[in-house]
Amino acid sequence: MSQLATYAVTALDGVAFGLLLFVVAAGLALIFGVLQVFNLAHGTLYLAGAYLAYALGDGGMASLIGAAAAGVVLGAGGGLVLSAALRPLAGRGHLDQALATFGIAFVVADVFTTIFGSAPLPTAPPKLLSGSIEMAGHGYPVYRLTFIAVAVVLAAGLHVMVRHTTAGAMLRATVSDPAMAAATGINTTRARHAAMAAGGALAVAGGVLGAPLLGPAPGADMTVLVLSLVVVIVGGGSILGTLAAALLVGQVQTVGVLAAPVAAPFALFAVMFMVLLIRPPAAPLGPPR
Amino acid sequence: MTATTAQEVPAKPAGTSSRRRIAAGAVTAYILVAVGLPAVVDAYTISLASTAVALALLALSTQLLTGVAGLPSLGQAAYFGAGAYTTALLAGEGVTFAPAQLGLAMLAGAGAAAVTAPLVLRTRGTTFLLVSFAVQQLAATAASQWGSVTGGDGGLHVAAITLWPGAAAVTGDGYLYWYVLAVFLALSAAMALLLTSTLGLALRGCADHEPRMAALGHRVTGQLTAAYVIAGAVAAGGGALLVAAHRYVSPADLGFEVAALALLAAAIGAGSMRGAVAGAVLVVAARDLVGARTGGHGAAVLGLLLLCVVYLRPHLARAARTVTDLRWGRRAR
Repeated sequence: MSQLATYAVTALDGVAFGLLLFVVAAGLALIFGVLQVFNLAHGTLYLAGAYLAYALGDGGMASLIGAAAAGVVLGAGGGLVLSAALRPLAGRGHLDQALATFGIAFVVADVFTTIFGSAPLPTAPPKLLSGSIEMAGHGYPVYRLTFIAVAVVLAAGLHVMVRHTTAGAMLRATVSDPAMAAATGINTTRARHAAMAAGGALAVAGGVLGAPLLGPAPGADMTVLVLSLVVVIVGGGSILGTLAAALLVGQVQTVGVLAAPVAAPFALFAVMFMVLLIRPPAAPLGPPR
Repeated sequence: MTATTAQEVPAKPAGTSSRRRIAAGAVTAYILVAVGLPAVVDAYTISLASTAVALALLALSTQLLTGVAGLPSLGQAAYFGAGAYTTALLAGEGVTFAPAQLGLAMLAGAGAAAVTAPLVLRTRGTTFLLVSFAVQQLAATAASQWGSVTGGDGGLHVAAITLWPGAAAVTGDGYLYWYVLAVFLALSAAMALLLTSTLGLALRGCADHEPRMAALGHRVTGQLTAAYVIAGAVAAGGGALLVAAHRYVSPADLGFEVAALALLAAAIGAGSMRGAVAGAVLVVAARDLVGARTGGHGAAVLGLLLLCVVYLRPHLARAARTVTDLRWGRRAR
């Protein structure tokens, strides 16, 4: 019984971690949608958010909300800068563009290490949310439950926005056929800028809110990048698909590691490998398949 | 997409043979400098040079797929690792005879590539890049998890190589470097032959317009599989050299960083094999030599190098073309 409770609590951890990956990966999917290139600096945006939460955090709720707002602005700016940086490379093939984002990731990671040092920086949640509540004989951090609630709202909002609003329809049209979308009078440049800004904002805000779960440390950017790549590929790019894949990866990384410590590390990439062979990523933001 | 018609094929420019002579002279000069290196620099730099040469083979392998056959690959580090661990395990069984290690390591790499090729070659372009990335991650995970064989994350320490059975072990950094360099030169000569062969030309054709090659009757899948197996063998040769030089192997040797560096070296080379080798040397020098001099900012140096390569390459290529055109007295195109 107590073992079952351990698994249940670990599974809840998996939900929190999966939702964290969802927030970041949804941003990656948005950027992939408009650029057709995987943004290899996406983990760097997450890390920027996590360091932001560390630098601004003083234990109060106001500082967390302030950091999140700053993260949204910083991320939106980052997305737009990325878009501008890649414009000269348009028409040069996807490899050059991906390498450029990777170069940015290397340089910024070095800047972070220079400023914040090479040790991981544990980031505590605000005092108001720092307690834990009793669940099946285990104490469970309140912050994680709050994070789950916030992320669920965010996921629902994103889904509704992309699938059920005019703005979302314009974005999907721009992604699936830019020329035709432009011909019907959609301002595709604005749609692309909006998607890049939103994608960056999701990554940095994810970093601010996720810092107590996956804290700022050198290398965290690559961890987040690799996991969100897996999520976007396995999820096929739609918001609901990304959510399902993120929750799956969250469970593999928590319950999987507890139940099958040897097999779990293989599971992610084996699944990604199979999905790529069966169904290559083609139509981001499309309907779930 | 560029479809080349018969009329557009440029006539062989005048001075091609003298240009080729100059290129051959430059390669000879580089080889002489490489051979003479141990006389000039300290032991640490020589061991870095051995690493660079081993990575240069990995870069050649990556370039054969990425630059020649048009299959951008992050996965060659997996076969590099197959060669490295084969070498380490052979040494553990008492086989320290270097040519035997090299041959068996390359066989292991070729075998691993032959097994994975039917799956991996179902994809092209960005999907191929991601699939090869998954291959690299699975291989690195296997190296880290299969502790009873690979020693896990702690890695394996390896006995020094011998150059003929019964001879004394080679331990000096300079001698190890010369062995590594000799194998590299032999394998890159073989690679140069491959590129001028029918297969090499067919691979370039596949990169340009695969459906057309298939329509012309080429067995495209067979040709790409051959390239993939050869690339696997060459990468594994690089892995064998790395272990011979370092006398140590760990999962980091086939990690994401190594995979990314190999692709970076190939990208610096912009499709050419000589460029990929220069790229590998440049990458190791940037990361380890300049990185150490700048107080551990190797990552930033690498990142800036990557950005320079991506943004400045068209300008550099145009400048180089203008210079050579001027030198050969022709109108700039």
